[in-house]
Amino acid sequence: MNAVDPIIKIEHVNKYFGTFKALDDVSLNVNTGEKVVVIGPSGSGKSTLLRTINRLETINSGTISIDGRDINSPKEDINRVRMELGMVFQSFNLFRHKTVLENLTMAPIKLKKMPKKEAEKLAMRLLEKVDILERANHYPIQLSGGQQQRVAIARALAMEPKIMLFDEPTSALDPEMINEVLDVMTVLAREGMTMVVVTHEMGFAREVADHVVFMDQGAVVEKSTPDVFFNEPQHQRSKMFLEQIL
Amino acid sequence: MMGCVFDHRTYVKNMSDQEKTKIEVGDGAAIPNPEDRGLVSAWWIALVGTVSLLIILPMVKPDPYLRILKFVPDGILVTFKVTVFSILLAIVIGLLTGLGRISKNRVINLIASLYVEIVRGIPLLVQLFYIYFALGRIIRVPDIVAAIVAMSFCYGAYMGEVFRAGIKSIDFGQTEASLSLGFNQRQTMAYVILPQAWRTILPPVGNEFIALLKDTSLVSILAVSDILRRGREFAAESFNYFETYTMIALIYLFITLLLSKIISIMEHRLSHYERR
Repeated sequence: MNAVDPIIKIEHVNKYFGTFKALDDVSLNVNTGEKVVVIGPSGSGKSTLLRTINRLETINSGTISIDGRDINSPKEDINRVRMELGMVFQSFNLFRHKTVLENLTMAPIKLKKMPKKEAEKLAMRLLEKVDILERANHYPIQLSGGQQQRVAIARALAMEPKIMLFDEPTSALDPEMINEVLDVMTVLAREGMTMVVVTHEMGFAREVADHVVFMDQGAVVEKSTPDVFFNEPQHQRSKMFLEQIL
Repeated sequence: MMGCVFDHRTYVKNMSDQEKTKIEVGDGAAIPNPEDRGLVSAWWIALVGTVSLLIILPMVKPDPYLRILKFVPDGILVTFKVTVFSILLAIVIGLLTGLGRISKNRVINLIASLYVEIVRGIPLLVQLFYIYFALGRIIRVPDIVAAIVAMSFCYGAYMGEVFRAGIKSIDFGQTEASLSLGFNQRQTMAYVILPQAWRTILPPVGNEFIALLKDTSLVSILAVSDILRRGREFAAESFNYFETYTMIALIYLFITLLLSKIISIMEHRLSHYERR
């Protein structure tokens, strides 16, 4: 273990959907600045795990701490914790009734009481970063999928989170749009953002991840560096999975 | 007629196009859809016919048509007063009921559901009488107030179902995105869900408005001088029953035709962010 406490600390988490065991005694630590890519077959619980980190899913047992705060404790204000956790969804989920700019400024203005001018300046800077500045006054429906997802990343960044969670951010995109989103994520990773990414993009995992977490049937099977995972996987099930997809 | 008795009026039709959910309502007047040429022309024919009759009949046969046209309009104001106040109150009750119906709090949920069940099971006319006389036992209120309370009590339940369906029609991803940014449930409802649901809710609310306007004819029984009551008073004196009710029907038709057009325009304006 590191001398520094991990910023995300998941310990012995179990989660059921009815009688189906979605998470099976999952433990996982993520350090500040670390990039963890979670992969695995569909139904392996990777999205569920990601969603428990900001309590979009509750858990049945175990603990999850963010920055030392137990997020499932009734004493913690989950909304405060969520402000520090940016999340990007598979289906973008931009607010359809707001322009791109408003999508970015809404949370800082309402939740952080940031002056409108300042929030707009921050938003413009972020839109420039994700290379979509010229669409600031458009509505989400007027954008392509790749553009919407880049706006969604910028929206999450507008709250200046400590951690970014990505839930299959490119799975709903046409192939030619996947790279523009992955490029933005790669830049973010280079800047030192702590990231947990659920994805099927093995190239991204290989290039960006500090650690690859392989999940199967609700359990973490293996946590290795990309080098080890892709070249000499430690587990039979990881090996089989890689053989299927590569 | 007594729209409140039918509980199958409101249903959500989920079109294949991901979020083009529309709540279609089978009562009220048909709201013209700009893309539906047939309905637009039906609307025009009805309007031109109604207006022509309203002008020609009093010109050709001033007695009794012109006399009726002069006698009845006092009632239009009353009808509108009852309708507008009832719909405003019904929207407030409906919003609360709709939120109650989706609430995770069991007690609130039960109260809201019970209210809807009870109101749906009792004919509007019976409710009108009941509230009128029940209120009369406690406090003496003007007839028009009793009528408004009764109408909004009934329509609030239907409005509640409209709000519930409208809120449910918004993709859950919107809620999750809002929560993930740090908004709480209440803020999510106020900033993200309701502003979007309003667009889905408006057409059925408009329809309820028109249905309510027509149902206000029932309050003529409670000694409220609305359009119908004025007509009955005129007919009772002059014995021109046929002519009177012809004019009454034309006046109602004229009003509902205009309203349906206004609502159709409002609906179009409100969906600006859905256009590419």
